[in-house]
Amino acid sequence: MTDKSFWIKLLGLVCLGIYLFASAPPPLDDKQAQSATIPVQQMFTLLQQENAAVRMLWTKEIVGTGQKVGLKFDEHWRDKDLDAGPLPALFLRETAKSMETSPIQISLFLGSDYPISPDNRFEGLQQEKFRVLRMSQQPQFFYMADTTRYIAMFADVAVAAPCVDCHNKHEQSPKHDWRLQDVMGGTTWMYPSPAVSLEELISVIIVLHRGFHDAYAAYLEKAKTFVHPPVIGERWPRDGYFLPSAEVFMQEVLVRTAPHTLPFLGSLVDSAENAEKSHDVVDQ
Amino acid sequence: MNNRATFRIHQHRAYATGIAIGLVSLCLLLLPENDRFHVRGPMNTGHEKIKCGSCHKEAPGTLRQQIQANLHFIFAQRNHPADFGHRPVGNENCLFCHERPNDRHPVYRFLEPRFQKTRESLKPQYCISCHAEHHGQRVTLAEIGYCSQCHKKTRLRKDPLDVPHDKLIVLKQWNSCLGCHDFHGNHIRPVPKRVDRIITAKNIYAYFDGGLSPYGNQLHYKAKKEPENDR
Repeated sequence: MTDKSFWIKLLGLVCLGIYLFASAPPPLDDKQAQSATIPVQQMFTLLQQENAAVRMLWTKEIVGTGQKVGLKFDEHWRDKDLDAGPLPALFLRETAKSMETSPIQISLFLGSDYPISPDNRFEGLQQEKFRVLRMSQQPQFFYMADTTRYIAMFADVAVAAPCVDCHNKHEQSPKHDWRLQDVMGGTTWMYPSPAVSLEELISVIIVLHRGFHDAYAAYLEKAKTFVHPPVIGERWPRDGYFLPSAEVFMQEVLVRTAPHTLPFLGSLVDSAENAEKSHDVVDQ
Repeated sequence: MNNRATFRIHQHRAYATGIAIGLVSLCLLLLPENDRFHVRGPMNTGHEKIKCGSCHKEAPGTLRQQIQANLHFIFAQRNHPADFGHRPVGNENCLFCHERPNDRHPVYRFLEPRFQKTRESLKPQYCISCHAEHHGQRVTLAEIGYCSQCHKKTRLRKDPLDVPHDKLIVLKQWNSCLGCHDFHGNHIRPVPKRVDRIITAKNIYAYFDGGLSPYGNQLHYKAKKEPENDR
């Protein structure tokens, strides 16, 4: 009887062991199981370059030139009775909002120590980092334990006359002597990992580009409701009272972002291939 | 047959009957029609017809895969644990129906570093910090003066209100903010310019508790309906 009981228990344990440990069903995907070798700081720097290029495109080609041909841009652009589009800071906010709808946890914010709205003023650690950023003109990288996010702050420089003019004229602005090339504020990027794989990086770039697209598409939807809607198609405000379609706008986004993004991605692919080759040599 | 053997047969029958009754009860309880018998509490205002499965989604993989993945995690064979049974309910479940392009206070904005102190006290980066489900209310936050967390420095150069905002802030009249502004900004309603016309704290508490909206019923965006296949 003792033997029988022993064998039953042993059989039970073997069955339990097979159930618990043998991989008959494929194992579930592990988050970040891919090789994450690209430091998140490099990803932030690339994203910032992309954002700066599109910010320049929006500020100069749509807002700056658009105002000269009769297009209006306003902080209350979503109001139904206002025929206007988003100012550059709000275009960034629209982009950031679209990015937040993605399951990929990349975040983007814009703030300042002299914001038009006092509620957008940097506080605490972000304010300290921004002071260093303003003095050194160097991006700041840090980690917030409570949100478990890696963070980068980059200078938001007055690259075009409309930035300076609008902030200097705005009645709610706390500062009216902005000049071109001043650091007017800072963009803050956040991501939950210290490093990313090439696949993750490409996914994040796709999310950012979708953000640009959605922000521009939201403006076009509003523009269609104007009392005198601009003609949407191939042409730009520099040609008259026109707006480029979302496809034409995104084509220009690619033209302006590709010169720095493609070489960067190419160098990552090269280094990955070299690492693989050296791994093969070691194996042989 | 002796008495002991008869007793064992009765005992086994009793066990079998008990197990059968238990299994049938469990199956009945798990039917979607009987959700109400095992929910944690009454659904919040407006959520009364939402089915459990709309928010409580099954975790990926079979039970065996989930157990194995978590054992692998315990033995450091994988980097992250796997969800077991159901996925955790998070902001994305709420935003599936309530995401709006005009939200004045979207939850993600509170992840920005400058809101660290507010995160410590209010946790506004999570929907459930103010809208905990299964409480039979609309807003489960106990206070209405929470604007003080972020707006102590708010100043308007052309203040349209008869008692300027900065004066209300000095007087710590934080319970008055929601009298004009609904937190998410989704109601279409002219903002009062006189403090004596604002919505009273009593009416706001009643609204939080599930009562009629003092902000009116005109909305910029209505919440999406849950997908048909979840019903």
